[in-house]
Amino acid sequence: MKAATWTGVNEVSVEEVPEPQLLNDHDVILKVKQSVTCGSDLHLLGGYIPFMRAGDVLGHEFIGEIVEAGPAVRNRKVGDRVVGAPFAACGNCWYCKQEQYSLCDNGNAAPGITEGLWGQSPGGCLGYSHAMGGYAGSHAEYIRVPYGDVGTFVVPEGVSDTRALFASDAASTGWMGADLAGTKPGDVVAVWGAGGVGQMAARAAMLLGAEQVFVVDRIPERLQQVREHVGAEAIDYSRTDVLAELRERTGGRGPDVCIEAVGMEAHSSGSAGVYDQVKQQLRLQTDRPTALREAVMACRKGGSLFTLGVFAAMVDKFPLGALMNKGLTFRGAQVHAQRYIPELLERMERGELTTEHLATHVLPLSEAPRGYQMFKEKEDGCVRAVFTPGS
Amino acid sequence: MPLPKILARAAGLATEAGSGALQQLQHLRLPGVGQASVTDDPDTAARRWRAVTVLTDPEQLRTETPAPLARFGDRLEVRVTPAPGDRGAELAARFRSPVTEEELGELRSALREAKQRIETGEVLRNEPQPHGHRAQTPQGKALDGMDERAAKEGVL
Ligand SMILES: NC(=O)c1ccc[n+]([C@@H]2O[C@H](COP(=O)([O-])OP(=O)(O)OC[C@H]3O[C@@H](n4cnc5c(N)ncnc54)[C@H](O)[C@@H]3O)[C@@H](O)[C@H]2O)c1
Ligand SMILES: [Zn+2]
Ligand SMILES: [Zn+2]
Repeated sequence: MKAATWTGVNEVSVEEVPEPQLLNDHDVILKVKQSVTCGSDLHLLGGYIPFMRAGDVLGHEFIGEIVEAGPAVRNRKVGDRVVGAPFAACGNCWYCKQEQYSLCDNGNAAPGITEGLWGQSPGGCLGYSHAMGGYAGSHAEYIRVPYGDVGTFVVPEGVSDTRALFASDAASTGWMGADLAGTKPGDVVAVWGAGGVGQMAARAAMLLGAEQVFVVDRIPERLQQVREHVGAEAIDYSRTDVLAELRERTGGRGPDVCIEAVGMEAHSSGSAGVYDQVKQQLRLQTDRPTALREAVMACRKGGSLFTLGVFAAMVDKFPLGALMNKGLTFRGAQVHAQRYIPELLERMERGELTTEHLATHVLPLSEAPRGYQMFKEKEDGCVRAVFTPGS
Repeated sequence: MPLPKILARAAGLATEAGSGALQQLQHLRLPGVGQASVTDDPDTAARRWRAVTVLTDPEQLRTETPAPLARFGDRLEVRVTPAPGDRGAELAARFRSPVTEEELGELRSALREAKQRIETGEVLRNEPQPHGHRAQTPQGKALDGMDERAAKEGVL
């Protein structure tokens, strides 16, 4: 079959690869209808998470049809139209029972790398390197999903493929950030990053009752989507001082909830930007935490901060003093998609949550290299490149 | 410091096949990077209880040593205790006498396997996976070696 693979730093290829097989009794195999680029892939692509082997199949946000199911699969059947969760989660361990699916104890068959890096291993993620389980991803004609009953969700008939697709990752990640940060009715929420994840976090905050929601970015097309499709207020950080702007617009308090949806490749300008660049060139830090630092400084006293943006190892100049003295709560997580997908699909069916605008570029799988190029460089207003392996 | 650099150091500049690299990663101390793993000397390490928490009834687990651990025969001591809260049982094992790193690795992977069998009814497999052309680069080789060892490594 055809698949889009990582073949080196900043190099995506389309190759002929073997079809996946059922390896475990709980597996299902999907014929992929749509599979989409995610900001997390950029960290792999750029070599910031150096556990990719040339030839690894990318992709972890997808919708498809079940074409094969292992003998232990109970609640899914051949022909079901399903969205897949990015993380492989068993559904039976203590973490899965707490609905912390991305922390599943049994989702990564080779936890040695992440235990060494982080002290404990989170779960395994499809198409996300040999540190996270070494699974082939969804940018392919077929994909194997382990623990099929837990990791796939039947899409209601009234919800289109493209809307449902984003329940898989962008929308469930955004929703998780707003939810686990403790967003309540009446809150003021600020989100850094207007990619798919940041936009969905902002939308979730609004649906959870936030009174005022801001999204910070510098890409005009994305800020326009924030105003038009999300209904939140956009702040262009290249034109204004974000901290001053947020103080002015929140009665001097700062937002109650700050959600970081940028990650370790944050762009920065000014002296901090030069500092981070030099640090990185001198190889003194692995990750650039520009947006995270700003979020800590912006957050109101006693407020809550959540990082959805992916970080791999160490950051420098983290304002721990501000975090401690202002009494902030700081959390982060990889997506517990299984916890949110059912509710998101219902909201999608009711029309409360729309996602189609994120699919700015729909391309055949053969154009994956161009899709990633546009997504990475944000060319032509690209917010997400969606591949259609079947077509 | 970028991760590739850390890894390159851990892997001895990625010149060797990588099986040792992962082990080194866990014992790595680089300025500003910290260390996830223990600093035990080999004798202490060999005698330390290694444990997984299994979401199951401790009484039931006590009645029969899980097959992956039973394979070690009486070279192992096995201990089952209730875990605090609603977390199930703590399944711990240690060797009766000093062992090699390889044997410790086998114990880690046996404990993980035992837990998986009880919680999910099977042992997760990730080979073979669809993949494209594997270019033979030094980094690639190092990663292959790590991958091969990863089930036997970690801080367990
Ligand atoms: N936690 C999870 O499970 C999970 C899931 C999906 C994605 N992610 C992560 O979330 C982050 C965002 O994902 P995405 O798909 O939306 O990515 P994306 O690349 O499409 O969007 C990132 C946005 O951040 C903006 N940005 C860069 N520097 C900024 C700064 N200093 N201040 C404000 N905005 C800035 C960029 O202009 C861009 O629009 C990534 O780090 C990704 O890895 C995490
Ligand atoms: Zn993602
Ligand atoms: Zn689990």
